[in-house]
Amino acid sequence: MSGKRKRRRIFHAVFYSFAGFLFLYSAYLFLSNLDQLFVTEAAIQTREITSWGDDREILNQFGGGFWKDPYFWKSLNLTFVTTLITTLIATILGIPTAYAISRYRIPGMSVVEILFSSLIVMPGSVIGICLIVMFNYGPLWKLQNALGFRFAHSIFPGMVIASLVLSFALGLSAWKAAFDSVNPRFEHVARSLGSSRWRAFRTVTFPLAKGGIIAGIILAWTRAMAEFSAVLFFCGTFHELPASRFSDFTRLLQMDQADWVSVAVWAQVEFGNIEYAFALAFVLVLIGGMSVYVMHRIGAKGYVW
Amino acid sequence: MNMALGSRGGWWPALCVGTAVTIVAVYLLLVASNWIYLGWHDTLYFFSKSRMWERFWLTVWTSTVSTSFSLLIGIPSGYALSRFRFPCHHLVASVIDLPIVVSPAVVGAFLFGVTTRFPFDWISEYYGVYIGRNVYGVLLVQFTVTAAFCARLMKASFDMIPTRFESVSRSLGASPIRTFFRVVLPMAKNGIIASMIVVWARAAAEWEGLMLFVGATEGKTDIMPFAIYLDWNGGMMGWVTSMSIVCILMAVSAITAMRMIGGRSSVW
Repeated sequence: MSGKRKRRRIFHAVFYSFAGFLFLYSAYLFLSNLDQLFVTEAAIQTREITSWGDDREILNQFGGGFWKDPYFWKSLNLTFVTTLITTLIATILGIPTAYAISRYRIPGMSVVEILFSSLIVMPGSVIGICLIVMFNYGPLWKLQNALGFRFAHSIFPGMVIASLVLSFALGLSAWKAAFDSVNPRFEHVARSLGSSRWRAFRTVTFPLAKGGIIAGIILAWTRAMAEFSAVLFFCGTFHELPASRFSDFTRLLQMDQADWVSVAVWAQVEFGNIEYAFALAFVLVLIGGMSVYVMHRIGAKGYVW
Repeated sequence: MNMALGSRGGWWPALCVGTAVTIVAVYLLLVASNWIYLGWHDTLYFFSKSRMWERFWLTVWTSTVSTSFSLLIGIPSGYALSRFRFPCHHLVASVIDLPIVVSPAVVGAFLFGVTTRFPFDWISEYYGVYIGRNVYGVLLVQFTVTAAFCARLMKASFDMIPTRFESVSRSLGASPIRTFFRVVLPMAKNGIIASMIVVWARAAAEWEGLMLFVGATEGKTDIMPFAIYLDWNGGMMGWVTSMSIVCILMAVSAITAMRMIGGRSSVW
């Protein structure tokens, strides 16, 4: 008996140690870099070769003095507002689409599922290049020239489009799972009792799928926050542009001369402002960690990245 | 189907199907835009170049190696996450998920910081294996992302198997290890193979970390998605679009293979 218990304990220990390794690796990866926020003497020496901003002294503070810099707050503001718009559009378009994919037998459904599933394993650079090729060449380019505005390298349509591509795909998977988990019988009963199709959806299926729909919204928003490559390819950076390039409305919203946060992380690493980049990166880690914790707590279903 | 517009509230299914068809058309156009741009003749020209296939094989072997390491870690930890209940397991699962949930550029920045520290500086000092601006760095980036991804997918595969079979096997006197190898693994086999293919495709798609952490060495660290970025900066649109086509084909064929085996990429 005790031999059996011992074997079970060894079995548990082996499996726990693998999970524990992954946990410790991830925790170490993210926590051990906290000291990157503090500037060392060596970092101050390297500061001499970088040129960033007009007042150089803020770089020698904790986290590059990020709280004093409007770029930090403007970038966060820009990213939050843009991802919220993206999530809103993805929700409005995604719930009817997920409902159609879940309920109606559309021909070629397996092609659609392969298409949306393959988006999660497609490199971000490919998504960005596809967006660039789609909007900057051919008929859409001619259309933009005729209308006199650009999709690419802009904040409002550009960043929203770039973050929408994968945000929508992941949200769709969660919303489809939510509608799949609702038995269609309930809706049939409601229809046989005389309610219209829309009413049956609104009063029966939607309330039953509500938990999954909220999970899908969180998933879509988290994926939009995590977007990097598509925004980098399709929009680029805005920090170096002169203030005159931004509209008054953008300036009013405090979104001028700001970057998408993860693109800003990359740009600051490239400029050599490591601690500033890590200040931005820790914000993203906190946001991502909180939303994935919420998704685990509510037991969300859908794609992973 | 029976969704004639005549029936009451029939506008709703019509709206749903219309939205779905429009969006699928947009996504198909998005994915096909590279072919439309490049044309058949130029595609064949770029596909006949050895520069393309050197990068392709580099992508294939690095992602294969990192996928095997991820599987070694990911299968047992997926089983542990699926079956064992311990305090704060949501928190542990969230921390394990962090590398795939945050932006991959952020993961690259954090790897950039961590490789100057304890195990990595020690490895480079005593074993002379420098993990950084070489192919080991590529493998580390791919491993970091795919290990979390793999644990997640394996958890989903094991979740699909009812725990009854394990209980029966245990009650008939088999040890936990025997139960795992003789009952759980054979039942989860299809799920594991399907997940393996998805993990491989995800490893081949990882490049943002490389951009921050590894950097580009021609023929050594420029795996295909990263080479797309480099050639795009070089203005070589032909190379860019033809390599995108290869990446799209890799992703689509991996997902098709996964579906043929009968796995799902939709988890949680």
